[in-house]
Amino acid sequence: MPVIQRLFLATTTMLLAALVSFLALATEPARAQNIVDQWASVKAPPPPELKAVTVDPKTTALLVLDLFKQPCNVERNPRCVQSLAAVKKLIDEARGAGMLVVYTAYPTASGKPTAKDILPEVAPREGEAFFVGFLNKYIGTDLEKTLKDKGIQTVIVVGTFAHGAVLATAGASAELGFKVIVPVDGMSSPTLYAEQYTVWHLANVPIVSSRTTLTKIDMMKF
Amino acid sequence: MRRTPITCGTIALVATLMTGATYVCPARAATIIDEWASVKAPPPPELKPVTVDPKTTALLMLDLLQGNCGHRPICLAEMPAMKKLLDAARGAGATIIYSGFGNVPPSEIIKDVAPAANEPMIHSDADKFLNTDLDKMLKDKGIKSVIVVGTAANGGVLYTAGEAAERGYNVIVPVDGLSADDLYAMQFTVWDLTHATPTIVKGVTLTRLDMMKF
Repeated sequence: MPVIQRLFLATTTMLLAALVSFLALATEPARAQNIVDQWASVKAPPPPELKAVTVDPKTTALLVLDLFKQPCNVERNPRCVQSLAAVKKLIDEARGAGMLVVYTAYPTASGKPTAKDILPEVAPREGEAFFVGFLNKYIGTDLEKTLKDKGIQTVIVVGTFAHGAVLATAGASAELGFKVIVPVDGMSSPTLYAEQYTVWHLANVPIVSSRTTLTKIDMMKF
Repeated sequence: MRRTPITCGTIALVATLMTGATYVCPARAATIIDEWASVKAPPPPELKPVTVDPKTTALLMLDLLQGNCGHRPICLAEMPAMKKLLDAARGAGATIIYSGFGNVPPSEIIKDVAPAANEPMIHSDADKFLNTDLDKMLKDKGIKSVIVVGTAANGGVLYTAGEAAERGYNVIVPVDGLSADDLYAMQFTVWDLTHATPTIVKGVTLTRLDMMKF
């Protein structure tokens, strides 16, 4: 076969192959970018402002969520252990003002925890309420009744995990009609990422954001 | 070589192991607000192919309403793909359940993915198991797996998928079937569904609509 003919054949074959692959690409439906594709480009929105709060001890309860060993230990959740001193200060102030203080824990593989399992730094006193529930502490407990019977209108929510029990219980409190106060230094998650989302959610998501005040413990007065 | 940062947890662990004494971590000086700008997102999770058994699977179409999805560009952009999922599920004979909040009627659902006459609609806030018959509806039909799609990602999808996993269902979440007003909320939803609790981590499979087979 003459050189010129062979060249012509080769070029035609290449062009045909290119056309076929172009058509294949064009007929394959374009897949939209999903959140996993866009992962690296996601930016956190700006932080919300913390506000000073004056608490009415007669109508406010302090909810201390899940500060027991399972979720609050140095290996798994050091930020929780680091928050205990500030939470203790808040509990002392709440008790000093005669406020209702409520504790919670969640069932673990080793069974149902009791009030005695709460970490000694922040332990409940005799007679303080204790409930066991999963994330939203109103589900399957008498928490709502306990609060309403005492005329509580506002709850202060602290504890761990921020993005678990704190978020779910703060959200449920708002939906049940309570005002919610969350001091950001009273809640903790193993990662800053999860704490940051919790703060953003409480400050931005409808219903919960309209009833929640974000503050920090030394900006609270009793 | 990357070095693991020495955290208070490391110090406390070493101190406890070596001396038997308890080391108390110092209080945090900075709040999350102070540290805001330094927060990095964890790596994205892996998406996995899924083969759905239509006899034991229900598709939950959450809150795809005019007054919700209709104002959310990311949600509206997903409707053609969602319609394909719906058609595939219907074609295979899977159970399909819609949701809304308040008392919105089925006519408020985005037209492209509107329910057929025999497809039920339930009403609740974020967690669609709360104050509804959803669990009973699923159990009565022998449903073992639920596909959860809809909006908002960080509301209905996150709480219903999480609760379904806690209740023992296999939960399938296609990441291109959820939407919110912004990507930050969608990213957290995807992360949380693979980290929230051991039960949720075990029960939830993240996938993509074109990785699902009926």
